[in-house]
Amino acid sequence: MLPLTLFHLFLGLSVSLLGAFASDHQEETVKGFFGRNGTSQSTHTNNWAVLVCTSRYWFNYRHMSNALSMYRTVKRLGIPDSNIILMLADDASCNARNKFPGSVYANPGRHLDLYGENVEVDYRGYEVTVENLIRVLTGRVEPSVPRSKRLLTDEHSNIFVYMAGHGGNEFLKFQDNEEISAFDIADAFEQMYQKKRYNEIFFMVDTCQANSLYSKLYSPNILATGSSQVGENSYSHSSDKDLGVAVIDAYTHYVLELMEGINKTSQSTMQDLFSSIDPNKINSHPGVRSDLFRRPLDKTLITDFFGGVSQIEVVDDEEGVEEEAGLVGGNGKDSVSSTAPAQASFAIPERRASHSKRHIEPVSNTSTTSEAKELWGWVGSSTRAWGAVALFGGLVGWVRMRS
Amino acid sequence: MSSSYSSPLLRLGVVLPALTVLKLSAHLAGVSDVLLHDHQLSSPLTSFSQLQEGLYLFRHGIDPYNGGTFRHSPLLLALFSSVLPSSKVFMATLLALCDAVAAWALVRTWRARQNVPSSARDGLVAAAYLLNPYNLLPSLALSTSPLESALLLLAVMFASQKKAAPSLLSLAFLSHLTPNAILFLPPLLLLLLTDPHSHLASPQKISFKRHKVLPLAVEFLLYVGVLTVASTLVAGNLNWVAQTWGTWFTLPDLTPNVGMWWYFFTEMFDHFRPFFLMVFSVHLLIYVAPLCIKFQHDPLYALFILTGILATFKAYPTLADMGLFLSMISIFPETFPYLRFPIVTSLLHLHSALLLPLFHHLWLTQGTGNANFYYASTLVFACSNGAAILDCLFAGLRIAVGKEVDGYDVVQE
Repeated sequence: MLPLTLFHLFLGLSVSLLGAFASDHQEETVKGFFGRNGTSQSTHTNNWAVLVCTSRYWFNYRHMSNALSMYRTVKRLGIPDSNIILMLADDASCNARNKFPGSVYANPGRHLDLYGENVEVDYRGYEVTVENLIRVLTGRVEPSVPRSKRLLTDEHSNIFVYMAGHGGNEFLKFQDNEEISAFDIADAFEQMYQKKRYNEIFFMVDTCQANSLYSKLYSPNILATGSSQVGENSYSHSSDKDLGVAVIDAYTHYVLELMEGINKTSQSTMQDLFSSIDPNKINSHPGVRSDLFRRPLDKTLITDFFGGVSQIEVVDDEEGVEEEAGLVGGNGKDSVSSTAPAQASFAIPERRASHSKRHIEPVSNTSTTSEAKELWGWVGSSTRAWGAVALFGGLVGWVRMRS
Repeated sequence: MSSSYSSPLLRLGVVLPALTVLKLSAHLAGVSDVLLHDHQLSSPLTSFSQLQEGLYLFRHGIDPYNGGTFRHSPLLLALFSSVLPSSKVFMATLLALCDAVAAWALVRTWRARQNVPSSARDGLVAAAYLLNPYNLLPSLALSTSPLESALLLLAVMFASQKKAAPSLLSLAFLSHLTPNAILFLPPLLLLLLTDPHSHLASPQKISFKRHKVLPLAVEFLLYVGVLTVASTLVAGNLNWVAQTWGTWFTLPDLTPNVGMWWYFFTEMFDHFRPFFLMVFSVHLLIYVAPLCIKFQHDPLYALFILTGILATFKAYPTLADMGLFLSMISIFPETFPYLRFPIVTSLLHLHSALLLPLFHHLWLTQGTGNANFYYASTLVFACSNGAAILDCLFAGLRIAVGKEVDGYDVVQE
């Protein structure tokens, strides 16, 4: 019995050690890939978003508008619906008191309709509960829950968790009959960490005394921000005269304003985001918690959390040399096609210049080689085509001779 | 049948150029752009835009057969990358010329069958080919299927004139474009070894020099072999075999067309796919021997019926395939009195010709129909094809019985 146990132990240890060494090498390769491209240094491969509005009733229109503004932002910057869990506790757009049915506006004057096209709400109405939120986050859902309502993240997912509603000191009210506490959220995140369900989390809260909600977090790689300190209220931005309710909260309004000026290739950092909110304008002091977050905030891109951009590295088969993408935003360098001049227009000019300053040799080398290869390819194929036509012509001539 | 065809407008020398010019002007008027992507007129194996894509890849040194979308023969790739330009205007001109050549070949076959140097019906036969909308529209859509029809008609013409080598070369080239065409070899060989004259009214046991069959077959295989070598030379490797010929047997592309295969295989479970692919492919083989045996006295008629059968049952048909069959009816006027329901067949064809684009639009453009609509219209088309083939088959056999005479019974020996 004992020798058998020892043998199994030995087997298990050796396998795990081998696995560790192998994965070490793989980890190195992966880290090298992420480290080579850009200054973002983020190691995520996919983006998810969990956007929660916890208040119902018509007078909480602004909370739904908050969640929908973030939904609009993340969708615009590239996260697909399949990677977004949108939880709205009430339906403001089809409310009987909505003078503009089918729409949810983000600002007084109704210039921006957040509900206009293609909104996919995953948890609606009474499905938005504390239990459902924690189940979604931790992944402990019933087998019957459909795929669109699950958070199918892995250890390389960056998750943006946004919560809006009525809150207080270390709690957030759900639907007027229950509340989630900061401890619950912290434990849920810890479960996610243990189950390797995230690479990094960005946790944003827009409620009264929001900063208290992230005060109890203890898992690594979480960046958190709230709209107001303990003891402070978060205020709404303004109300629309025709709708009769406040349409958006001040903090989210300024976040949305910044985000509207950003696109997928933006290099704006989280530090820019946090610095752009003026406490005087929103009448509260937003807070940031970055002690659990590894990377410096001025090197963390907004699109790491809000967008669905990815790194691409194109490997040239024939030369076995890896060419760098050097561009964030999904534009790879195609060595075969002749679209090199067109690609420069995609990149932000200063970025391209800095890249070329560092790596002039490989870029020019591969471009001439690719052109030469293309020319040689054309010559080769042209020769072959003419050869085949000559063969066919010979056959036709031989047939004519015979008849 | 008794109306005079001596009108000067119907002379061959007038009809052929006039209709070619008409076709070219239709293309220049922009008809081609409307028809270019029509699923009835061009299949994934004959589509002009696919040809353009393959030529582009080939010109840039990329293997076009690596991707899985280019299914044209490497011979076409070679021809259009070297000798022939690949613009739309040139393609339209080329197809108009191909149609003219095909009509001319049909007329020559007709003259050989009637054993006359020229006849009054030449222009009518040419017009029956050129004005048939089943032939006209695919060539306006710049599909390569009129090319295939032209090659078959050339093969038949050369065989009618007892020129074995050009006939077999045309068939070999056609086999490279459509492997189904190998099934035309037995009746073609019989045609080469007998004569194209009409013996439908007096069937006799066939007599041909059996020792000549093998050399001809070997010659055909030799031509196919040389063309295979040329194709491999162009493509650079052997990927093209799976991508061109293999497509016919594995049906990877389920783009809707006027045939009967695509719908079956969209809803087929993978478990049964190889079996049914085998069944559908082998099914085509069963028609060759019976036709050649039953029409051994007139192999040209056997070839004609086989054209219709292949048009109905092949994997990626277009309207041009059936157009070839329907136009070829014009060289067998002796069967016309014995057709039992020509009006029904014509009306069925009219019906299906109207339904096919309608249901295609309803399904894929408007979205208010579904695939079953279009599948139903292909079934109607198959029904009309079947009616045409069966009627021609019956008429071809019925001639031998002759006029019914009271008091006498017809008995088969």
